[in-house]
Amino acid sequence: MARELVTGNHAAGYTLARAGEANRHARGAVCGAYPITPQTEIIEVLRAFEFTKGRVVPVESEHSAMAVCMGGSLGGARAFTASSSNGLAYMTENVFAAGYYRLPIVMIGVNRTLGPPWNIWTDQGDTLALRDAPWLQFYTESHQDLVDTILVAFRVAEDRRVLLPALVAEDGFVVSHTQMIVDLPEQELVDRYLPPCEVPHRLHGKGVAVGGMTYPHETEIHRKEIQQAMDRVPEVLAEALDDFEKVFGRRPDAAVKAEYTEDADLVLVACNTMVRTLRRAVKRRRERGQRVGLVKLKMFRPFPRPQVLRALGSARRVGVLDRNHSPGSGGIFWTEIAATLRERPDILLQDYLIGLGGGDVTPELIDRVFDDLGARAAATEPIFQEVPV
Amino acid sequence: MMEMTIHGRGGQGGVTLAKLIASAYFLRDKHVQAFGVYAAERSGAPVAAFVRIDDEEITNHNQVSTPDQVIVLDRTLVGPRVVSGLKPDGWLILNTPDPPESFAEQFPGRQVATVDATGIAVSHGLGTRTVPIVNTTMLGAIAKVLGLQLADVDGALELVHFGGANRVSAHEAFERVVAKKLAGKVKVGAERRAAAAGASLLDPDVGQFPRIRTGDWSTRRPERHQLTPPCNDGCPAGNDVRGFVQAVSKKDHDEALRIILQTSPLPGVCGRVCPAPCMEACNRREHDEAINVREIERYVADHGKWPAASKPSRDERILVIGSGPAGLSATYHLARLGYRVTLLEADKELGGVMRTGIPSYRLPRDVLDREISFILRHGVEARTGQRVNRQQLLDLSHEFAAIFVATGLQEARSLNLGRLSSDIVTQGIDFLDRVRRGEEYLTGQRVVVIGGGNTAMDAARSARRIGARSVHVLYRRTRAEMPAIAEEIDEALEEGIELSELVAPLRLHEDALGAVLTCQRMKLGEADESGRRRPVPIETEDAQFEVRCDRVILALGQSPDLSVFPEGAEVRDGQALLGLTGAPVFAGGDLATNDGTVTAAIGSGRRAAWHIHKTLTGEDLFPTARPEVAGPEHIHMHVFAHAPRERGVTVPPHVRRGSFTEVRLGLVDEPGHPAAVTEAGRCLSCGVCNECDRCLTYCPEGVMRFRGNGEYAFDYDYCKGCGICASQCPRGVVYMAEL
Repeated sequence: MARELVTGNHAAGYTLARAGEANRHARGAVCGAYPITPQTEIIEVLRAFEFTKGRVVPVESEHSAMAVCMGGSLGGARAFTASSSNGLAYMTENVFAAGYYRLPIVMIGVNRTLGPPWNIWTDQGDTLALRDAPWLQFYTESHQDLVDTILVAFRVAEDRRVLLPALVAEDGFVVSHTQMIVDLPEQELVDRYLPPCEVPHRLHGKGVAVGGMTYPHETEIHRKEIQQAMDRVPEVLAEALDDFEKVFGRRPDAAVKAEYTEDADLVLVACNTMVRTLRRAVKRRRERGQRVGLVKLKMFRPFPRPQVLRALGSARRVGVLDRNHSPGSGGIFWTEIAATLRERPDILLQDYLIGLGGGDVTPELIDRVFDDLGARAAATEPIFQEVPV
Repeated sequence: MMEMTIHGRGGQGGVTLAKLIASAYFLRDKHVQAFGVYAAERSGAPVAAFVRIDDEEITNHNQVSTPDQVIVLDRTLVGPRVVSGLKPDGWLILNTPDPPESFAEQFPGRQVATVDATGIAVSHGLGTRTVPIVNTTMLGAIAKVLGLQLADVDGALELVHFGGANRVSAHEAFERVVAKKLAGKVKVGAERRAAAAGASLLDPDVGQFPRIRTGDWSTRRPERHQLTPPCNDGCPAGNDVRGFVQAVSKKDHDEALRIILQTSPLPGVCGRVCPAPCMEACNRREHDEAINVREIERYVADHGKWPAASKPSRDERILVIGSGPAGLSATYHLARLGYRVTLLEADKELGGVMRTGIPSYRLPRDVLDREISFILRHGVEARTGQRVNRQQLLDLSHEFAAIFVATGLQEARSLNLGRLSSDIVTQGIDFLDRVRRGEEYLTGQRVVVIGGGNTAMDAARSARRIGARSVHVLYRRTRAEMPAIAEEIDEALEEGIELSELVAPLRLHEDALGAVLTCQRMKLGEADESGRRRPVPIETEDAQFEVRCDRVILALGQSPDLSVFPEGAEVRDGQALLGLTGAPVFAGGDLATNDGTVTAAIGSGRRAAWHIHKTLTGEDLFPTARPEVAGPEHIHMHVFAHAPRERGVTVPPHVRRGSFTEVRLGLVDEPGHPAAVTEAGRCLSCGVCNECDRCLTYCPEGVMRFRGNGEYAFDYDYCKGCGICASQCPRGVVYMAEL
């Protein structure tokens, strides 16, 4: 495998291209592409890649980028794209459509704050605004996690038992524009890992219309089937991780990863690169004999309730690091975890809104959260843990 | 873990330097991380980048706040901020020509390394003096200070695909960097306090956007200036060509005529006979074809409303001698200034060469009469049949306040063809005058015309019209060098005139069958002082040939008759003659300039009027220096759709060959197709705002306002200096000024 010093975006673009190329003996690859900071380099890498079969279609908007992906996927191609922030917001109508059409499209969401005020830095609010779209959602902590998860996402999304699109999020700039050392998978290995993409309901032969009018009861069934597909994701994901390990010799993290939680009193939950900074803080506290732990939440949709409950079950106090803000409620991960812990009122659950708008989440700031969580008498409404300027 | 902070400015390559440093350690099997702090990316803004190097996997993803090394790419950024948080034993590596000791007071106790990376980079052609690209050069200095080898530098550069000058510069910096521990003790507290003194950008109002005057970000800003349109610059009469063409494009023919009459009283004449240097200068030639200015001017003269004439308001009487275009122009402008002008003409009718030398099929008499009578309506007293000699001029200089002499070119140049026969050889200018008076018939004759100017063309075409069997024009250079208007040559050829280029007449003799002209074939040699290539005879046997003819018309140009002036008087355009006792006497037009065009004579006459006015009153009407001429480089041609030129209507050759009625009918409007307005709409309005609104339409910030009368305002509080308005201005009016 090639170890290279590259940006997260370069790694993501490379991996998408390899995944698309792996479908060259089937119905090829299609990417509807529209650039936006901080996603742009992904599109540049894809545009520079010479696909044996398939193409990158530059379009005039994110809305059209997803439309191209849908067309490609309905034609049986392996379809993928990437976007960020206001671009995702503009794409939203077709994001929902792609899921309701049951098209296994993979999209990279390079997390960036939604404007205004204008802000280009990382914040999960853009991808979480798609919370209720029929998409799988993965949040990745590093360049390598990103590369591996993209390949896993194709496997799970395209599985006949799932057939739903998948979004893989990476932190804008902190991953997208940062140079790190990555194992970039060679084509041969990707070919072994990804079987030809099969879209069973792809259009061929006579022209038909898809997505026409349905009555309420039919729609109910449609929604229920999507829920059932979501319910099957954990078993499909487990298989995909097993196979990944067989092909690549390493195992990407699962939907939820608990570290040092068995005997921990205090546990913090986080995702994306905050996990890595948190991990360092936990190790240091462990070295000092403190019983602290962390839970990495990698998969957000479907929300892995049993695994989260298992990971947090023995903690006395749980803090959630939410780099997002749902006005009038609080952190979005927090509300999900609160629902998961609904039968565990004995656990103190506190939400920390941290690093909003790309604020620099330092080890010192995480220490402050640990201190607060350990000292507080009761949980309060979500706390804005401002980043000192 | 070693952490580094790089301070630089947008465009200097700080993020790439971070990658280069990381690459050097990556190749040494270290774990590395390199990233920049991105913001509104714009050239010149302070930016930071970071590098982490460790033996173990790096899990921090926050910015570096307590660096082990600090690198500064821009001398102007060296201040309290860059050293804040730097560990006491860390290096401060600076791009500056100054030695480390010069920072002794600023950074006591610090380890400082300096290198003139800008000088090295520029000397090896990396960027420019204003925007030097110093990152690869700095890599060499950093490697030296951090104990790396040149092989590490080369490896890193190779990994990022840099070589050549980058490698040479990095090596030079590796050798030249000077590192030193400065005397004294590091004062961390004082450094931190100094760094914290910067103000916050955030608005204290909770829930409000920070209120930022985004104009503060700009390093340049749009400004406007008016340039001189090339047509205006090229017009010898000084017409505001762009102005009247734009007026026509707005369908305001009266305004267009008013604009022309500011400078020229003969638009109908110029609109027919001007060689139109404005069209030669027209920037639109770079795009498709020049604007058909001549036909537009003619259209304006024929369709615009002629205004009422002003009457004399001054007591001074001024004499103008000669009623050609220079005399008429001077008369007109003097009269408009309020002077009482008396105009003398030797001929029976006014107009000079415009009447006697230009055939009516090019310039109908009613057009000339219309414009002369407009001039005379300004209270001018005109006397015809008044030839003035030297003594009379002296006498008259005591009657008038000033005299302007514009008697043109009276002496036709001749050519010795051996045995001259006045029946056979005629001067073109005399021939044209006789044709005009109906005194010439050439039925069935073979005519040879010698020369390449407008007189030659006029003579040839007139000869055709009065019955010549054949007309043959001989010119000693090629068609490209012919001074005649190109369209006139075309029309002559259409009418069946034969043109022989590179032919010079040698001698004429008569035999039993008539006259025989012996001719010499020529070739073009070296350029003469006028820039045209000089014709030289071809020396071969067959280079001479004979042409049978019945008439030879010479059109070799004319020279002025200076006998009216006192002996030794030096005649120069616009300057009073010296040595006279009476009123100042000025000369102008062809007499003084030998320019040979109506347009130049109009300009000369106008300048003479200003000279006279300045001499009499002291008031200076001469325009101040014109702004820069708008060349093609100022114009964004891609904005304009290609459009063919409106050519106007011409009588077919077989009809016009036998007639002296006007050949060209000008731009003719058709239902739904206003020809002149359409043609004027092709004008690019070079260098002068015509309120096209592209700047305003394309301004992404909405910081432009239209103020009326071609004026726009920029709100510099919010203009970020993006330059889109300047890039969208098709005519060079909006430009970016550095701040």
